[in-house]
Amino acid sequence: MLILTRRPGERVVIGDEILVTVMGVSGHTVRLGIAAPEGVPIYREEIWLAVKEENRAAAEASADALPATPPETGTAQPAQTPAGEPTQTPADEQAADP
Amino acid sequence: MSVTFQSIRFGAVEIQEEDVIEFPFGLIGLGGLRYTLLDRNPGTGFLWLHAVDEPALALPVVSPHEFFSTFTLEIAPEDQERTGLKDATGAQLYVTVRATPNPLDITANLRAPLVIREGHGYQVLNMDEDASLQAPLFTLPVEQRIAS
Repeated sequence: MLILTRRPGERVVIGDEILVTVMGVSGHTVRLGIAAPEGVPIYREEIWLAVKEENRAAAEASADALPATPPETGTAQPAQTPAGEPTQTPADEQAADP
Repeated sequence: MSVTFQSIRFGAVEIQEEDVIEFPFGLIGLGGLRYTLLDRNPGTGFLWLHAVDEPALALPVVSPHEFFSTFTLEIAPEDQERTGLKDATGAQLYVTVRATPNPLDITANLRAPLVIREGHGYQVLNMDEDASLQAPLFTLPVEQRIAS
């Protein structure tokens, strides 16, 4: 790995088209400005790793890994509300309404 | 005109040329530049996003709105610039799915949805605060949760 020391305002050039500028340093935080050609995806590493892992895990599914019948007819039902929140039906609403 | 490609899961698959979706940047960490959507589990809401040029590369996907009524997509500014997509107007939306033997453990990645418009697809980052990387696709009905 190439290791460079830079001061705020200084830059690193990667290839002919990617410019990384140290915008500022504050305590343990470094702010970077990145100029890259349109179409070069730039991600924070932790997000990139997390999404990559989800994609990889999804791509491991075998042809028969998915529920064969609509789950509505089984023991599960679509999570229409965020997980953990009780579902309120129209009947519940009416009952709560005096 | 039809296109035939090989799949390790489904054998030889024939699709129409217009059903090929170009992903100029591939999927994050997976690549693949040309995909198509296969409906191999009719009625379940699951589709396969299958690479046309890589027989082993395929992911189950679902439409987020079908399973998550509160799903919102807020495309990250850098993705808007890169893809030219300001929002999902007129686009088809899908999220990747982690399949597991127990349906209750199946999760969808709401954080990085797939936006497909006019034959082009992009995996974008969703800035919506509630967009989880692993959102459970199914939950037990309330009464079964209490009983178990």
